[in-house]
Amino acid sequence: MFQPSQHNSAVNPLDFIRAHAPFNLLPAEALEQVERGLEIAFFPKNSKVLARHGSKSQHLYMIRKGTARLERDGQTMMYLEEGEVFGYPSLISQGTPAFDVIAEEDLLIYRWSEQVFRELKRHQPFAEFFTKGLAARLRLVAQQEGLAVSPIDLSLPVSELVTRPPVFIARNATVQEAAKAMREHQISSILVEGNPLGILTDRDLRNRVLAEGKGPQTPLADVMSTPAKTLPASTPLFEALTFMVHQSIHHLPLEQDGRIVGVVTDTVFMRQQARSPLHLLRRLERTRNPEDLKGYSQELSGIAESLLAGGLGASEIGRSVSSLNDHLVRTLLRLAEECLGPPPTPYAWIVFGSEGRMEQALLTDQDNALIYAEDSPEAQRYFAELAGFVVGGLIQAGFPPCPGGYMATRWCKPIAEWQKLFLHWVKMPTPQELLEAQIFFDFRSVHGELPLEPLERIVATSGEETIFLAHLAKASLHFRPPIGLFRRIREEDGGVDIKKGGIAPIVSLARVHALEAGSLAKGTVERLKIAAQENKLSPEGAETLIEAFGFLMRIRLRQQLTNLRQKLPPDNKIRLEQLSSLERRHLKEAFLQVREMQEAMSQRFHTDRLG
Amino acid sequence: MLWPLRKSPTWNEINYWALDLETSGLEASDQILSVGMVPIRGGVIEFGAHYYSLVRPVRPGALSVEGIRAHHILPNELEAAPPLAQVLEEITQRIGRDVLVLHCGSIDLGFLRQSHKALGRRWVRPVVVDTAVLLARLDERRRQLEPHSKPHPSGLRAARAQLGLPPHLEHHALWDALATAELFLALRHRLQARTLHQLI
Repeated sequence: MFQPSQHNSAVNPLDFIRAHAPFNLLPAEALEQVERGLEIAFFPKNSKVLARHGSKSQHLYMIRKGTARLERDGQTMMYLEEGEVFGYPSLISQGTPAFDVIAEEDLLIYRWSEQVFRELKRHQPFAEFFTKGLAARLRLVAQQEGLAVSPIDLSLPVSELVTRPPVFIARNATVQEAAKAMREHQISSILVEGNPLGILTDRDLRNRVLAEGKGPQTPLADVMSTPAKTLPASTPLFEALTFMVHQSIHHLPLEQDGRIVGVVTDTVFMRQQARSPLHLLRRLERTRNPEDLKGYSQELSGIAESLLAGGLGASEIGRSVSSLNDHLVRTLLRLAEECLGPPPTPYAWIVFGSEGRMEQALLTDQDNALIYAEDSPEAQRYFAELAGFVVGGLIQAGFPPCPGGYMATRWCKPIAEWQKLFLHWVKMPTPQELLEAQIFFDFRSVHGELPLEPLERIVATSGEETIFLAHLAKASLHFRPPIGLFRRIREEDGGVDIKKGGIAPIVSLARVHALEAGSLAKGTVERLKIAAQENKLSPEGAETLIEAFGFLMRIRLRQQLTNLRQKLPPDNKIRLEQLSSLERRHLKEAFLQVREMQEAMSQRFHTDRLG
Repeated sequence: MLWPLRKSPTWNEINYWALDLETSGLEASDQILSVGMVPIRGGVIEFGAHYYSLVRPVRPGALSVEGIRAHHILPNELEAAPPLAQVLEEITQRIGRDVLVLHCGSIDLGFLRQSHKALGRRWVRPVVVDTAVLLARLDERRRQLEPHSKPHPSGLRAARAQLGLPPHLEHHALWDALATAELFLALRHRLQARTLHQLI
C-alpha cells in the first residue's frame, strides 16, 4: 500500500521522496540512484524557479516544503504543493517551459539533473507517469493497488477452472441412464448431445424427476434444460460468476471454437473464494421469510471487500453488487406473490438511480417503483401490499429507506400514468422537477411480466427535445467539483464529498449525452462510450471521464469498506490525508476534468440562458 | 581572518561543507561518535556527495550506553567503524580550502582541534560560517526595526521551524548536517548576504 504522506513528522529525504509519486513507482534498487543524484535548492518567496519561454528546464523538481504557483501571463493557473513534481514537460520536450513557476512561499526543493532523470526513466512505471495522459495515469494507480493484495485473479479466463473434459449423453437416453453416467464419472451435471445443447443436473433429478413422482424411464429430453446457457471459455472468471448469479444456474458449459470444452460448477467458485457472491445467491434461494434476510448487507460488504482485494475494478464490483440486490428483490417479490396470490394484472418492479445503472456502492438508499398494466381498485390494493412487503423486506436486509421517498410504496402507478409523467418531464420540463426526476431516466426492470416499451420509447426520443436536454444539462451542473480558487481541492466538514463532487457530475453528464444520442444505455461507462461513438463527446473526453469515474468509484468503495470495518456508517466523504499523494493528485486532476467537461456542456446547451 | 582576495567573492562562488559531529558528551574528555558532511556548491546542496561515518571509539570503556543510544547508534556498530585517524583524514581532505558551515560551531571545532592534537595531526582552522551566529545577526537587525521582537530560538530544530523549514531527524550527524545546510540557505537569503564576507 501507499505510505501516508508525512507532513508533520520528521523524515529523511529519501523516505519523503519515495513516499511520493512517481518515485513510489521505482524499484528499490533504483533508490540509490535517486539518492546519489539528489540536489537540494532553496527558492525564496516570489522568486522564479522556471520562466515561461525562458531557458528549458534543467531538472526534475519536487517540492519538499512550501507552495509553488504556475502562472501564464501573470494569471495563476495552478498551485503545486509538497510532494508534487514539476519541470518535466520542458525536460522531455526539450522546449521552453509552458508556465512561470514561482515560489508562492519560501520553497525547499529537491531536484535531479536531466541525466539522472533519463536514467530513472528506464524504469517503465516511472517513465509512464510522465508520458501518459491522465487516463493512463489513473490506470497506473489502480494497478498499483491491485498489486498490494491479490488472493485470486478474477480476470483470468473461466476455462482455467476446467479440470476434466465434458461428459455427454445421447438425447434419447432415460433419466436413469443419465444418473448412472453421472455416478460413474462422479459429476453433478451431464451434457445432452444434439442441437440445441441440453443439460441435466443433480438438482433437476431431484426437483423435476423425484419430486414430480416421475419414474426412472422418463425420457431425459422431458426434464433437461435446453438450450443450455453457455459462455465462451475465454470469459473472465468474474463475468462468468456474475452470469451464473444472474441466470441462477449452478453449472456452466464453456464453449470454444463451436464445441463445449468443459463445465464449471459453482462449487469450484466456492473453493476459489470463501466469500463468494454465489454463497449469498444460495442463501437468497433458501430464504422463506424476510426475517431470514438479517445480516444480508454485512455479507454483501464482505463480498465487495474480497472482490476489491481480488483486483476487480469498481464498476465490475458495482455490477456484481447490483446483480445480487436484483436477486434479493426477486426473492422478496416471489415471497410476496406466494403470500398475496398472483397479481391481478401484469406489473414490473423497476429500480433506478445507481441501482438502475448497476453502479451500486455498498448500501445505497432504496430507489424503486412499481408499474402495473390495468388500473382498478383491486390492483391498487394488491400492489400497495406487494410494495409494502418488498420495501419492508429490503429494510430488514439492511437497505435504508430512501430519504427522498422514491420507493414503490409511494411510486406505484398504472403504466398510463407513468407515460403521462415521463411525457410531462420531457415535453414540459421544469428545472426543480428534472433535478429530482433525472434518476428515473436510469430505470431498469428487475422483475415482472409487464413490457415497458411505451416508457422506453419516450426515453429513446427524449434527446430530440432541446428544451428538455438543456434543462437536464442544467440539472447536471447542480453539483460541482470542490475545486477552489487556484485549483485547490476544498475540504468541507472534514472531507471531500466524492459523490457530489465527482461521481454525480459524471453520472449526469453521461446521462445527458447518452439521451442526446438517443441511447437507452443505463451504465455510465456504456453511456460515455456511446456518446463518443455518436460524436456527442470527444473520444478523449469520454475516456478521461471513464477513467476518472472508475477511480472515484474505487476510492469511494475503499473508504466505505474502511468505514464499515470501523463500525462507522458508510458515507461519501473522503479525507485527503488518507489518500496517497499520487491519489490526491489524481483526485485533483479528475475534479479538474469534470469541471472542464461541465463547462463545455454548459456552453453547448446554453444553460446560462435558462431561468 | 582575511580573505586572500581584495574583493570578497560572491557567496555562491564558494564551495561549502555543512558538518555535524555527534559526540559522547560535551566535555573535553568526550569522544566523537559520528560525522556527517554535506557539500553546497553553486548555492545548491549536492546531497549525493555527502559523507557520513561512524568513528571507532579510542576509549570504548569510557562510553555510556545511554550516551550512544541517544544518537541511534549501537555499540557493535562503533566497533566495526573506521578509526578516528582515518575519519579525520576523510574530513580534512573533503574540506580542503572550502568553507565550513556549522551550527553552534565552537563545540564541533573544539572536538576537531582536540582530536587532531591528540593524534599528533596538523589542524588548520578552515573559514567557518556559523548558522547560530547568522541567526543572532538576523535578530539584531530585526531589533533595530522592532525593538521588542523576540529573538529566534537558537536550537537547530526550532530555528528551522521559525524559518519555515520542515522538521528533520535530529541527533544524527548526517541529518543534522543537512538540516544545517538548508538553514544556511534560508538564512543567507534572509540576511540578503551577497558576499562571503557578509556571512563570516
